Amino acid sequence: MMGGYMGKILRVDLTTGTLKVEPILEEIAKKYLGGKGYAVYMLYHYLKEYESKGISPAEINPLGPENVLIFATGPGTGIVGFPSSGRYHVMALRSPLTGSIGSANSGGEWGAFLKFSGFDAVVIEGKSEDPVYLAIINGEAELRNASDLWGKNVFDTCRILTKKIGGKNTSVACIGPAGENLVHMACIVNDEHRGAGRTGLGAVMGSKKLKAIVVSGEQKVPVADPEKFSKVSKRCLDVMRKNAVTGEGLPTYGTSILINVINAVGGLPYKNWQTGVNPHAKEISGETLAEKYLINRRACWGCTIGCGRVTSVKSGPFQILYTEGPEYESIWALGSSTGVRDLDAIVKANHYCDEFGLDPISMGSTIAAAMELNEKGYIPKDDLQGLDLRFGNATALVEAVWRTAYKAGFGKYLALGSKKLCGIYGHPELSMSVKGLEMPAYDPRAIKGIGLNYATANRGGCHVTGYTVSPEVLGIPEKIDPLTPKGKALWTKTFQDFTCVVNSTVNCLFVTFALGVKDYAELLSAVTGWKLTENDILKIGERIYNLERVILNKYGFDGKDDTLPKRLLEEPMPEGPAKGHVVELKEMIEEYYKLRGWINGVPTAEKLKELEIEL
Amino acid sequence: MSKVFVKVMLFATLMKKYKTEELIVECDGTLKGLIKNVAKILGEEFFNDIYDKGYDNIRKDIIFLINGRSIKDLKEEVKLKDNDVISIFPPLAGG
Repeated sequence: MMGGYMGKILRVDLTTGTLKVEPILEEIAKKYLGGKGYAVYMLYHYLKEYESKGISPAEINPLGPENVLIFATGPGTGIVGFPSSGRYHVMALRSPLTGSIGSANSGGEWGAFLKFSGFDAVVIEGKSEDPVYLAIINGEAELRNASDLWGKNVFDTCRILTKKIGGKNTSVACIGPAGENLVHMACIVNDEHRGAGRTGLGAVMGSKKLKAIVVSGEQKVPVADPEKFSKVSKRCLDVMRKNAVTGEGLPTYGTSILINVINAVGGLPYKNWQTGVNPHAKEISGETLAEKYLINRRACWGCTIGCGRVTSVKSGPFQILYTEGPEYESIWALGSSTGVRDLDAIVKANHYCDEFGLDPISMGSTIAAAMELNEKGYIPKDDLQGLDLRFGNATALVEAVWRTAYKAGFGKYLALGSKKLCGIYGHPELSMSVKGLEMPAYDPRAIKGIGLNYATANRGGCHVTGYTVSPEVLGIPEKIDPLTPKGKALWTKTFQDFTCVVNSTVNCLFVTFALGVKDYAELLSAVTGWKLTENDILKIGERIYNLERVILNKYGFDGKDDTLPKRLLEEPMPEGPAKGHVVELKEMIEEYYKLRGWINGVPTAEKLKELEIEL
Repeated sequence: MSKVFVKVMLFATLMKKYKTEELIVECDGTLKGLIKNVAKILGEEFFNDIYDKGYDNIRKDIIFLINGRSIKDLKEEVKLKDNDVISIFPPLAGG
């Protein structure tokens, strides 16, 4: 067996109910690593196969049986001592929210336990007539009837299946009512509160009538050079422990600590991005969350950081005895973007997102867009059916999440996501999204580089694809000025390529606050037995990014879609440290395309040849 | 140097450590003058939270903003004015 791999892919055809085991191919693993990379490679080949059968990419229905869902781990996942390696990556051939490639990443334990169950990846094709769940237990896999689980929320589904399967190292990834109801922002949740959140993968799973995948097992992940790995691992974990962010900042406060600092630089979008300064940021900050709601920390499998928050709302109409989060993004989307100041309500709305299986970023941003539409008088009263969507209305926020999950009343419009919603009411410019995916919590008028990343991220308006906020605001690995567009192209490209490697390894992006490309090269070399240099690592990342871009191009996405909402390009920031600024996207993108070797958002033949991508 | 009054705001573990969210501080308009006066209120330990050993350079790992602009991005020497807001964050991150 290759170091780092269990060597097996489970391919499931839900239409015929057949399961096949296929090998991980070493020559593909060497080029695409695993996780996201291997999944992108497989998805590209599905597109090719469909084209050879006369099915064009445009004809692929994201909620049809021809869509494909891939759950993948990488060579680092599930190895004791490989930093924060409990994660997995999910991809879909097509996202119902964006019409482009679907992609999301999640923590918890499921990724590690998939490896222990004997597999590196699971590929889901077709569609089942009746609800089923997939059980993968110590090397054996089976589809089982899920009729008695269909309709259940995420928490109940996880608990029932964990108890039913029993055993050691058991984890459940499932959908809730939102996925079953094909809500375009539905997500996949594992271990009750960890989400593969973005691009509507929960709806894809729901369309296939696949309720859950349970993994369980005690198999061990092989390591090619255990002695070398032990040395490298010790060094890396020591660096992480001593690092002020991974060793103290993140463990103490979790991600919500960003609210005050992003607001202080004038980049915390407020009321659907009308401004980047939230006068009530303190009330929904990480400091307030820690003071009034925090009951414990929680770590994912194998993680020494432990940024997870366990919280409760002690009393009142939004009382919750136990929940996890909310993260920075969730507080921003459900709170700042909607103008809601009541942290009780925000925690409750986030809890609903876990319970029903919804992406809090897209959910919050879609509600915010609806609030602006409504305040401007663009939504007929009858459509709202009593949902009082105005900025700051905490009760309406919580109600809106519930209604979306069940497509009840106005929820059936919210369920489409902000782009389609705003289109229906004649004001597409009020959807703060890129390629149909709602942008996360940083106003690029105040942090220019993240604007370039939003515009060029393959899955749409995404921050983690190339998190330039790190150098621009946090000063990691070094400080660059957020208010200049200069030099941002190289940072964006480098971060995007490196993040592909992280998502293919698969381990946690937060590790990169302390460790760099060199560390990944050493860790992966020791695990796989391959001699990987820093250049090799970045080339693998660039290869994955470009092949994913080729898939985008096949769906008709190119330079015209590498853009930002008009508000960010033309409406100057009205206040704060970034007052008067817009995003100088044109100059950043020109430089970016040059560095990428793309013309109008399309990789050139030379670039593909250089990266050894065979189309 | 003329006297100015500025607001200093502390966040996260700094706020927790000094049990202080904000202070109005009088100073001579220089950075060192400001930190000196804050340290008089909060304690000498504050110097170590802000400066590297030797007290010449602001620590690389903290976030030090003047009216929302990082001190590391400002090209000119710092001259504080009345009502300036100084926001100080310990090393932190998220996503």
